[in-house]
Amino acid sequence: MTPEVQRLEALGERLRAVEPVVPAPAAKIRGWNLVSAAVHETATVRSRSHSVRRLVLAAVAAAVLLVAGALAASADSLPDSALYPLKGVVEHARGALAFTPSDQLTYHIDLAGTRLGEAEAMIARHRLDLASQALTAMNDELTAAAALVQSEKGTDPAVAADMENRLLQAVAIHDRQLAGLQGQVTNPAAQSAITRARDRAQQAAQAAQVEKSPATNASHGKGSGSSDASSHPTPKH
Amino acid sequence: MRALDRAPSDDDRPLIERVRQGDQDAARTLYERYFDRIYNYAYARLGRAEDAEDLAIDTMTRSLTRLDLFQDQGVAFSSWVYRIAHNATIDHYRRHGKVTLVALDEAALPQSADPAELAMEQLSNDDLRLALRELTDEQQQVLILRFFQDLTAAQVADIMGKSVGAVQALQHRALGSLERALQGRAVN
Repeated sequence: MTPEVQRLEALGERLRAVEPVVPAPAAKIRGWNLVSAAVHETATVRSRSHSVRRLVLAAVAAAVLLVAGALAASADSLPDSALYPLKGVVEHARGALAFTPSDQLTYHIDLAGTRLGEAEAMIARHRLDLASQALTAMNDELTAAAALVQSEKGTDPAVAADMENRLLQAVAIHDRQLAGLQGQVTNPAAQSAITRARDRAQQAAQAAQVEKSPATNASHGKGSGSSDASSHPTPKH
Repeated sequence: MRALDRAPSDDDRPLIERVRQGDQDAARTLYERYFDRIYNYAYARLGRAEDAEDLAIDTMTRSLTRLDLFQDQGVAFSSWVYRIAHNATIDHYRRHGKVTLVALDEAALPQSADPAELAMEQLSNDDLRLALRELTDEQQQVLILRFFQDLTAAQVADIMGKSVGAVQALQHRALGSLERALQGRAVN
């Protein structure tokens, strides 16, 4: 150990021997009174904030349950229900998640079926205005589906053929349902609305069947007779 | 016999949890455990009993009311308390400037000491304290923590956010500086 280190160590020991300065008892008591008050206040504030947080969490949970319940209930709601607008929101959300043309076709076909069911229910309840709206919406879905099929024909003919087949099957099923419904109603306005809906559905089917190019027709062995399709199309197999 | 026998302990955590739940007894225990040490630290840094008292109270208040911050620090509670005291010291210097006055007559000294020896002790301690105050902030801190507070190099490293080796090197330089300061005072 060098003399310098020895000196410094001795100095350190001398420092260690310095008597500590202690606070006066009164100062310590005064300090505790101040610290104790601050600790108490902090605990009170924390307790209040925990209560508020619990209340907020409970409110959020209740709101989530309420919204989830309303959304679930809206799934089966009809156009004359207060929850019906929510049903549209859910359907739009589902549509946003359909990414491929095939998925989008399924989406439009499902919605068309849903609208048809709603039209039937509204006719049963003598709400012809709402029934007419539902039928129009059904036709809009089928028209959108036909446009998808047409668009896909320019991209992937094989997929387009499958989509066209599915759409024609759906139109055929809907047409049978509409024909049955037409036989049950006597109201001329309802009769007229159903007739219009059947016609528009057939137009959608025909639009889907229009071939895009001869090359596509040759590759799939399809004729060019789509323009003279019958008013009650038979799905391809 | 030194007044600050009790070293900072690892059993603070159960007390801290109780304080967080508003337990005043646990807060009192921690206050008793640290107040004297922080007061002594503050006195060594500031040199005035009133300032040391205010700083110790401020440090203990911050320590016991901001325990939510302590959980994120990842250090011992004792280290956290000393860090708060150090920051409060820096704040004090900013507000009031550095005070070099040492007023030992303002402090209560142990009553067991022999009066004759105490006079010598006071004089020597006075020189030491004054010379200590001439060092840099880091040098003062390391010497006070190591020798006045009896902390290990590892504990000081934790408080100062340095490695143990860096603390030992700093301590060596600080003692050298203190020696020179004492020699300078003797010459003057």
